[in-house]
Amino acid sequence: MESFESLLEESAKVHGHLCPGQVVGVRMALLGCRLIGLDNPKSREQIKKLLVYVEMDRCTADAVAYVTGVKLGRRSLKFMDYGIMAATFLNLDTGSSYRILSTEESRELSDIYAPEVSGKGARQIIAYEKMPDSVLFRVQKVHVKISELDMPGPTKQKIECSRCGQIVRDGREVEENGQILCKPCSGKCYFSHAREISWPGMDWSPLSGKNGKSIPDYRKSVALG
Amino acid sequence: MLKKILVQDAVGETLSHDITEIRPGEFKGAAFRKGHTVCDEDICHLQKLGKNHLYLINLDKDEIHENQAASILANGLAGTGITWKDDPKEGKICLHAESDGLLVVNKANLASFNMIDEVMCASLHSYTLVKKGQQVAATRAIPLVMKRTPVERAAAIAQQNGGTVSVHQLKNSNVGIVITGNEVFNGLIKDKFAPILHKKIEDLGSSVSGIKFAPDDVALIKQAIEKHKDNGCDLILLSGGMSVDPDDVTRKGISQAGATEMNYGAAALPGAMFMVAYIDKTPLIGVPACGLHHKVTVLDLILPRVLIGEHIGKKELAFIGHGGLCMDCPECVHPHCPFGKGM
Repeated sequence: MESFESLLEESAKVHGHLCPGQVVGVRMALLGCRLIGLDNPKSREQIKKLLVYVEMDRCTADAVAYVTGVKLGRRSLKFMDYGIMAATFLNLDTGSSYRILSTEESRELSDIYAPEVSGKGARQIIAYEKMPDSVLFRVQKVHVKISELDMPGPTKQKIECSRCGQIVRDGREVEENGQILCKPCSGKCYFSHAREISWPGMDWSPLSGKNGKSIPDYRKSVALG
Repeated sequence: MLKKILVQDAVGETLSHDITEIRPGEFKGAAFRKGHTVCDEDICHLQKLGKNHLYLINLDKDEIHENQAASILANGLAGTGITWKDDPKEGKICLHAESDGLLVVNKANLASFNMIDEVMCASLHSYTLVKKGQQVAATRAIPLVMKRTPVERAAAIAQQNGGTVSVHQLKNSNVGIVITGNEVFNGLIKDKFAPILHKKIEDLGSSVSGIKFAPDDVALIKQAIEKHKDNGCDLILLSGGMSVDPDDVTRKGISQAGATEMNYGAAALPGAMFMVAYIDKTPLIGVPACGLHHKVTVLDLILPRVLIGEHIGKKELAFIGHGGLCMDCPECVHPHCPFGKGM
């Protein structure tokens, strides 16, 4: 594993800024990996052994993902939308899993750990670097029941929506009155009033014609609805 | 797990905790100790103490009794120079100084510890001079029965960086004193600073190995410092010449003597024009003239810390600001006052 300092620097670069959440995330990932016995999670040998469930979509989540190398597209990063500053680290080889929670009291304690630093954010950054793991985190040993359909690797199952024909992967379909539906058709989805459109420059591809490769000018391409 | 029973039904049962009795102005302590077997005669006494029910304890595997919790907590809190007996009274364990010395409290540890639910520790102020055997802190678990994990977590937090409360013995330093000022050097007035500094140093268990007088002359102040160094002084106190007048050149003398670090200005009154400098590892303390007038100044806050080997830098001189204003009482009761205790 790289040093804490270099992980934090790189993580902040990838995330876009250095903030207290980055420090918490890097430390959370270091502790999580240590608890499940991985010392180099991004290495070829270990990258397929790890699943991480993050319970928040905040800066901390990016740092956890950066340090561990887990990715949404690889199915090694699971987003559980709980609004809790916590993440669970699961070793697929051994089955051991630990849920690490960032303590609320660590925010209050920043003033005491880094009184020499002015400004809330800057103070928290330094304080979170100083605090021992036992102050910054609580840890629970947990059991994670994981379905074969949630595992990394190729798509295990495809099924067609009986209403719109959309292919739905890995068991994310919904059954309603005996009908198999995709989530948009079931109404249980994040958008509404879907209406298919055409748009300016819709014939573009990176390898096409004289305008190929350069991306169409957005000012001429705004879809008018 | 706790089971509540009527006190009348408790005859023959064993008390699961000390039961406190308070008679205002007369007595506060355990009327009954944990482990006592309740007999008929106790019932009335217990009822007078307001106990109509008692708890019977049946500990689950992951639970511990308050006494066991207190001992785990005390073990985590105790740093160097602390003694404690594994004999909780009313669920509480007191931590004592093993020797005379300076109490140092790791306030971040203490605050973090106290943020854990259901445990507590209260201490004297950090940097209080304490005597051998003096109580410096006490801890307890608040409920009668606790889960083991939070107690162990609190103890781990308390144990960070060598524990939460420690008592450090003051070094027996050989202190060199330099009294600066033309008025004293030329005999215009009699020096009154040396006896004051001498007493403060001896009261803290160190000795004065020499007193040198220097006029307001950079080279001669430098020379006096060097002579003390050559004579093996491991701490040098300089009085006077710490202000901003053109004749005040003590700081320049310290600098010329080869100071590797100089911190001028302390957030305390009296004593703002105070200085702590270092020549390599030897500390030099510049005491402003207020030390002549006031019984207690910033010197009394910083000197014990220097004598336990603490490095005093900008931060240490800045952080004394909160509580660093002496109330200048007609009758000084320091150290039993807030001066220097707000850090």
